Amino acid sequence: MSRRLIGAFIALGLSATVSLAQEYPTKEIQGIIQWGAGGSTDTVMRSVTPHAEDVLSGTIVMQNMTGAVGAIALNYVAAAKADGYTLLMGAENPLLYKVMGLGDKDYSEFVPINILARGTPILVANNDAPFDDYAGMLDFIAKNPGELRFGATGPGGLPSVITAMMNTVEGDLDVIAVPYDGDGPALTALQSGAIDVMPAVLGASIESIRAGAIKPIAIFDVKQNEKLPEVPLVTAYNEDYKTYLPWGPFFGVFAPKGTPDAVVAKLSDAYAQAAKSPDFIELMDNRGFTMMGISGAEATEFLSKWQQGTAWLLQDAGLTKASPEDFGIKRP
Amino acid sequence: MDTDFRGDRDHHDGTSDATPGGYPQKRRPGELGFAAFLSGASLFLLYSAYGISGFESLSAPGAVPMATTLVMAVTALLITLRTAQQQRVTSETLAKDILPGTVVMFIGFLTVFGVLLQPLGFVLTAALFLLVSIKVLARKSWVYTVGVTIASLAIIWLIFRVVFTVLLPAGILPEAEFIQLFRNLVSGAA
Amino acid sequence: MDTLLALLTVFTQPQLLVLVGIGTFAGIYIGAIPGLSVTMAVSILISFTFSWDVYPAISLMVGIYMGGVYGGSRTAILLNIPGAPSAIATAMDGYPMAQKGEAGQAIGVTTVMSFFGGLIGILVLAIAAPFVSDFALTFQPRDYMLLAVLGILLVGSLSSGSLVKGIFAGAFGIAIGAVGRDPLTFTERFTFDLQIMEGGISFIAVMIGMFGVSEALLQLQNVTMKAVRQKIDKIVPSFGTIKKYLPLSLQTSTIGVIIGALPGTGGDIAALMAYDHAKRVTKNPQVPFGKGAMEGLVAPETANNAAVGGAFIPMMTLGIPGDAVTAIMIGALFIHGLNPGPMLMVDQPDMFWFIVGALLTANVFMLLFGLTGIRIFTKIVEMPRSIIIPLILLLSIVGAYAVNNSITDVYWMLGFGVFGYFMRHYGYPLGPVILGVILSRLLDDNWRRAIISERGDIGRFFEGVITSPLSLTLFVAVLMIFISQTPLWATVKKRLFRKAES
Repeated sequence: MSRRLIGAFIALGLSATVSLAQEYPTKEIQGIIQWGAGGSTDTVMRSVTPHAEDVLSGTIVMQNMTGAVGAIALNYVAAAKADGYTLLMGAENPLLYKVMGLGDKDYSEFVPINILARGTPILVANNDAPFDDYAGMLDFIAKNPGELRFGATGPGGLPSVITAMMNTVEGDLDVIAVPYDGDGPALTALQSGAIDVMPAVLGASIESIRAGAIKPIAIFDVKQNEKLPEVPLVTAYNEDYKTYLPWGPFFGVFAPKGTPDAVVAKLSDAYAQAAKSPDFIELMDNRGFTMMGISGAEATEFLSKWQQGTAWLLQDAGLTKASPEDFGIKRP
Repeated sequence: MDTDFRGDRDHHDGTSDATPGGYPQKRRPGELGFAAFLSGASLFLLYSAYGISGFESLSAPGAVPMATTLVMAVTALLITLRTAQQQRVTSETLAKDILPGTVVMFIGFLTVFGVLLQPLGFVLTAALFLLVSIKVLARKSWVYTVGVTIASLAIIWLIFRVVFTVLLPAGILPEAEFIQLFRNLVSGAA
Repeated sequence: MDTLLALLTVFTQPQLLVLVGIGTFAGIYIGAIPGLSVTMAVSILISFTFSWDVYPAISLMVGIYMGGVYGGSRTAILLNIPGAPSAIATAMDGYPMAQKGEAGQAIGVTTVMSFFGGLIGILVLAIAAPFVSDFALTFQPRDYMLLAVLGILLVGSLSSGSLVKGIFAGAFGIAIGAVGRDPLTFTERFTFDLQIMEGGISFIAVMIGMFGVSEALLQLQNVTMKAVRQKIDKIVPSFGTIKKYLPLSLQTSTIGVIIGALPGTGGDIAALMAYDHAKRVTKNPQVPFGKGAMEGLVAPETANNAAVGGAFIPMMTLGIPGDAVTAIMIGALFIHGLNPGPMLMVDQPDMFWFIVGALLTANVFMLLFGLTGIRIFTKIVEMPRSIIIPLILLLSIVGAYAVNNSITDVYWMLGFGVFGYFMRHYGYPLGPVILGVILSRLLDDNWRRAIISERGDIGRFFEGVITSPLSLTLFVAVLMIFISQTPLWATVKKRLFRKAES
């Protein structure tokens, strides 16, 4: 026992002196998942990380840390040592924390390791809704103001952005926004008829669409979707949507800013390879996500463009608590 | 002991949740103070709930908090009034029956635990806590105390930190390095 | 034939049988330790079983789930500390039994009844899953809201002391549940502009503090006292006993399945509602409730295990999780290349029958392990208090931390522990606090949804309540229970009672 103990201390001493990057990882890495167990982010991270572990030949211990729309996890990782042993596994919403008044930090405090994939928004409706397509829906809203119930997931969530986009493109739509805590419960409510229409991410609704439990109205993308080729694009009804699309939520792995470049490179490489593994690609494909797998400058560029577009869209729709300008987010 | 006493004898009182302690017709030492504290706190929370969204609408985020803190305030004031009218239990004192020395001491231990947990790390803080508290309670030899402490802490640490990978605060001990070392040993042997 | 084969998969592959067994065994211990939850265990298993086939992975998870729900009763009975939220009601009559030296008997009845409840849940899943999930889908926000109100009214039966103190405790619980950023609008509530308050207060932290820490502090006063010696001869309940509680357990199992099948409500609420139901229908219990009534054990334990089968119903038929554990299992199915959703039953009926088979097996293992390990378990109560008290406190701290890896939760847990200690001394019941926390979101969120859906028009809201048969039934139930609990009614009843006694 004592010999092992001595060994442990020697190893510790070594890890401190030997160049960090070469040895990395010398101990387990903490992966903090921003959302709860069983959610999309959780599933995606838990299915890609084992592949990354193989590449790194290290251990990544994943833990869910929920609360305050993910801000608790973000602040935790941002405050951790920037040594590559604490990673944030998150989704898109921290980019809106500042403008929505939810926190004073966002991904600008982080280095993106890999932006794994992006989701596609889709408008789905209850089967009994008195319309079958996008034009019919607009017509119904115009004739019955304040009657149609839209599902929502709180300010800054995907439904709020899509609704803001619709209001900007089509002019203000008089609908009721019924809030749910996540798209899962909202889609359940859609099936039960508690709400009529729900802007959701394709992956979460695709199985119910296939089963005919809910009906698709329009896909919010510029390209016909391979999974649902018969569902029309929203741009087919109104070209103006092209200004804002493609747009979608995304998942990524991040390290606190200041993490040694060599460590970031090693992690980026590990996740890039992991994202290419066939069973991960199949999983993402089944859930209707578009693979991205970008890192480095490309990822940073993507993040800032996403933030500019979305923050200003919400600002123009009057949904923000503070102007993007206050945080140096330029109008796209 | 008072014949009116509601709890079980061996347990002093507060036996199980369904049978809370106390006396139905009398007040225990400190009970009035506690009720008054609850009333004050409830009124403050009611004020705070009003601040959430005021009387904006029935569906505002502050609606249910306001209703519930209002119920708290009303019931707490009722309890305070009733308690004030009751006679004090003469056979009890605050220091002997409600807050005896050991309880105060343990509340102190737990506070220190909370303060030290982050800077010192879980393993050291827990070891310290177990050592002191078992020594104080069992009054047995140091060998016994240290033995029980190490054995039980090892089991808890293994279950939570290693099996369930709960990231307990590492503090000043190089815990992650240790685990990695053993992992390497295991994978090296395999 | 194929169905039968799929159902028996677990038996034809010894490896799966062993995995279900291991899972159930581990689950009992995970459930018994407050702070180790089935949710945690299953989400760790996702990474652990990543490279496995789907059947072995699911076998292990199903075992842990079944065992874990049952395991929560162990510490509730032996130490008055529920190992899991769904065992809160079990402590109310289980612990008084342990104090009388009847822990073995209590665990025996609990085990057999958990098995029975589990069986009913699985049978409903196997036979009527599509029907039940259709029914679950008819619940609108206002129905969930009424269900929550119905739950809040349980305060009456959970507070044996002063009702006013019980109402205070219940309201306090609802307020605790509202702390933090509101999940619907992200408005800060009771945060006092402190960042640590934004995440809210973990309900498990409240439970561990109120039950674990306050119990340990109370026990400090009897450190030197000899522990109660436990009789361990009558562990397996007689056939007569089982027969006696059969009608009750059928009713409470039904409550369990339905509450379990509703997305958003689970075994914890089911167990409390079942306890309340038992208290209502049992006119003359042999031992009064709260003092060790068998009915008080039978009801929550059948209900929470029946809720397991119930939770699988929306998961298998619609791809909608019935609770947190099934939510993770849906993720597991995804990772293993399946697409859980309404089509799963059509595309992969084998998977459905395999899960039914695995659940059945886990249920049998639970009965087996439950009835054999009692001797060792009861030894826990006979351990010296000078060791057990520090260990309970330490486990409470680790457990509270483990829920969300948050040191803030530890502070909350300790705070509520000390607060709960005073509440116990001054006759405030703790059950309603936990009830309030559990129901807070259900009540608040659905109330607001219901009102928003009607454009804030309270008239339209009531019109909806009256025109929907389901809402109307729930509404009438709420009214009836409320009236039977108003102070006026209670005083009238009490007066009559006292006269009859004297």
